[in-house]
Amino acid sequence: MKSLKFLQDTKLTPLRLLDMGYVIVLLPLLLLLKMPMLVFALIVVAILFFKKTPASNLLVMFIFFLGILAVYLSLYGTFSFRGLSRLKLFLEFLVYVLFVVVSMQRLTQKINFYLLISPFLFLALSLFFYHGILMLIYVIFEIFFLLWMILAHRMQGNLLEGFRSSMVMFMYSLPWVVILFIFFPRISFEHATYGFKSETVQRMGHDGTMYIDSKALLVPSDRIVMEVGFKGEIPLSHQLYFRGSILYVDKKNHWEPLPKHIKRKNKDFYETKGEKVEYKVTLYPTQKSWIYLLDMPFEAVKGSTLDLDLISTVKKPIEEPLHYSASSSLSGKFHDVLDKETYKASTAFSTDSNPETYKVVQEIKDTYATPQKKVSAIIEFFKAQKLTYSLKPEALDINNSTDSFLFTKRQGYCVHFASSFVTMARMAGIPSRIVTGYKADLGNALKNYIAVKERDAHAWAELYMGEHWIRVETTATAYGIEADSLRQQSTGVDKERNEVMKKINLYLMYVKYQVETWILYYSNVRQLQLLQYAKENPKFVFTFVFSLILLLLMTLLISAYFKRTTYTSKAIEILQPLMRSLKKRGYTRQKEETLHQFFLRYVDENAEKKEQISAIQAVDKLYEEISYGNDISQKSIKALKQIVKKSF
Amino acid sequence: MKSLRTFIQIHKSIKQHATVFSAVVVVLLFGLFLEAYMHNFNLVYITLFFVFSLAFSAGPIGVLNLGRLQSTFIPSGRLFAQEEGKISLSIYNNSSTDAWSILVYGNNVTVPLNYLKGEHSSIVHLPFTPSKRGKFRYENCYLESRYPLSTARLTLRIKEQYEGVVYAEPKGRSLASFLNEEETHYGEEKEFDGLKEYDGSQRLSHIHWASVAKGELSVKTFTKEMQTSNLVFDFYKAGKDDEARLSQLSLWVLECEKKHFPFAIIFPHKNLNSTKESIDEILEVLARY
Repeated sequence: MKSLKFLQDTKLTPLRLLDMGYVIVLLPLLLLLKMPMLVFALIVVAILFFKKTPASNLLVMFIFFLGILAVYLSLYGTFSFRGLSRLKLFLEFLVYVLFVVVSMQRLTQKINFYLLISPFLFLALSLFFYHGILMLIYVIFEIFFLLWMILAHRMQGNLLEGFRSSMVMFMYSLPWVVILFIFFPRISFEHATYGFKSETVQRMGHDGTMYIDSKALLVPSDRIVMEVGFKGEIPLSHQLYFRGSILYVDKKNHWEPLPKHIKRKNKDFYETKGEKVEYKVTLYPTQKSWIYLLDMPFEAVKGSTLDLDLISTVKKPIEEPLHYSASSSLSGKFHDVLDKETYKASTAFSTDSNPETYKVVQEIKDTYATPQKKVSAIIEFFKAQKLTYSLKPEALDINNSTDSFLFTKRQGYCVHFASSFVTMARMAGIPSRIVTGYKADLGNALKNYIAVKERDAHAWAELYMGEHWIRVETTATAYGIEADSLRQQSTGVDKERNEVMKKINLYLMYVKYQVETWILYYSNVRQLQLLQYAKENPKFVFTFVFSLILLLLMTLLISAYFKRTTYTSKAIEILQPLMRSLKKRGYTRQKEETLHQFFLRYVDENAEKKEQISAIQAVDKLYEEISYGNDISQKSIKALKQIVKKSF
Repeated sequence: MKSLRTFIQIHKSIKQHATVFSAVVVVLLFGLFLEAYMHNFNLVYITLFFVFSLAFSAGPIGVLNLGRLQSTFIPSGRLFAQEEGKISLSIYNNSSTDAWSILVYGNNVTVPLNYLKGEHSSIVHLPFTPSKRGKFRYENCYLESRYPLSTARLTLRIKEQYEGVVYAEPKGRSLASFLNEEETHYGEEKEFDGLKEYDGSQRLSHIHWASVAKGELSVKTFTKEMQTSNLVFDFYKAGKDDEARLSQLSLWVLECEKKHFPFAIIFPHKNLNSTKESIDEILEVLARY
């Protein structure tokens, strides 16, 4: 209420209103200004603060030269004719120049046309640099604030009336903005690559090399690597494997992809069996070239390549959030014809290492003839070894890592399970390899949305049997989970101990994802999808229209609230229904006629309406008591309301 | 439907003129459109749509702000040729919401009204200097507002026009000067009554010379035995030409009114007498000659 009173009492000059507008539009651009320009801004603000009179020509000239110097120093080294072709630099230059010019004009304390329109130019320029969800909220606030300032100016600097009117106007325009946003035709240009994106932090968890020694990449972090929105329902937990890289070469302490001279061909489309699923991914910067697709992808994502191993990569490392749509079949196997070199790479193992394992495999080979039976035997062997899943395993003997894992330490996590399993399979003559990527956790899912975190980084094996690569979840052979790991897995880091907080966090992430998907990255594709969906689902059209009507009603209600007449006292406000009723009967309070006189006039002229007259007389009496007797108790107010109801 | 009809009626009565800020909005929309369309920047699209929608909704809001105002000319006092007077206009806001940023335009003059509370009225005085005497018509007045966004200048013409009479410009010899020549006006003095300050209208023989010696200029006053006959102004002796005569007579009429002197005017084809006709009627006869 205090702030409302403050607004009511505050009447600002046009210059102050303009200053407030400038503060709001310049805030995001301040993050863009380089140090010399920031110093320049600080000097200008200091002068404006201490000097209350208009600046002399000399001072304005001084600010001009200081501004030129600040612009020069800010762009020194980056500015050249070649640099001008880079839009971001050019825009930055424009911001600086506009800032200097506006500072000069503001110092003169004269409002001219250019000073009036510059806030809008700053707003338009800032939109080149920021595209995140925060900026979305800020831009809407900026638009409202500028509208408020314009209206306050038109209303003699009255901030409260300006606020009320701007709320009304804002609410009137909101439904139009929503309709235009959804239906305004778009073209398919992609986002420009300049400017600051919402997210520039590099994500970890998968880097294309798998260490099994102490360097083993273990990232139990809850930072989000990617967010996935499925068209339908989210697949089951055992189907949420996102492929990253394929590792063929055992380098004792780590596994590597195929050597560069062995190139698996690229293909655009794959015939895979299984349930088809469509989804959209927002992949945050990884500084790597892999994009993650659910096992097994159908086709290459636009702008990426997909090789015979179903590994999808983009040309340049991902340095800003990448949005892509993909489709996959929820299958654990896919057809492939191995070339000689790949076959060789996927069957290679060191005969000098892991003698104990080799011995076991020989027994299996002697016992079982078919690859399937051999694999079953290996799985059974893994289970029999009672291996423990541990996120903090003891270090393995790197020269005999499989022996060390299977017979001595018997502790490890996904990389150790996958590495040992592939080594055994190869010893048994089955071509095999390691797949690294992410296995999404349904605990991070909400409706059709799932967040994939760094802690979901995973490794599993793929065995080549009957011209098909078949996925084997090697970690599933673990006998038990080590207590610490279980705790870490189930409860996560400290901040997510509370399940409620986790749920709230997930909801927030879901909202953020939906805002990004449907607002920030809304495109012609999404528009067409929406129209197509509407064509196929009449129920959706009904829901959509109903939502729009609801929005319209909501905005009308809000604008009616802010448009309502305000009265000098509560008592007068209560009398309004009666006044309106009397007005309908042709009785309007005359200028300089007191309420008492007005009521008396009505009473004199309508003496026959005895019941109403007595009610009006009671209203008159009570109103006098409240207004002039300072009887502002709740009881009196309530009584006045009741009598007013009876009086018309 | 009723409110829609009312709005259409109001809308028809108002003219909208583009301002320089409407050009700014168009340029801004075009620039934002390019920025948004070229790179599918949805934030820019949102800004673009907001600017468009706000500019769009500003029209009806501005129309309702101005269109509910009702203006009526009200009697505004005497007007004399070549003298600044005022035309009074009563403006009533026939809406429950307040009207903002209103300017009243008269003949080459602008008076700011700024704010008018809902269902309240206000009186605006428009300065007016008539060039000549006689009947006149004050028209082409209108109300203007740039509310809410300054993107349009809305004008509401005041259909009513003010008709009145401009009295002749009061100028010429003062009444005192006239009275000095008309000895009979003073009647016969009976008894010395006291002294009062000389204001130029008294006879020279009544000057109290003793006070002059002391540095003051006083005149003697007497109780009169009988009032002389009314002052009589002769149209033909009042000036060289008609305009000068009318101006002279207007001046004397006003001075007589001020001093509560009854008077008569010998006028062509008609004699005017202040005991029979009101001052305004006499001035009007002079104005319309």
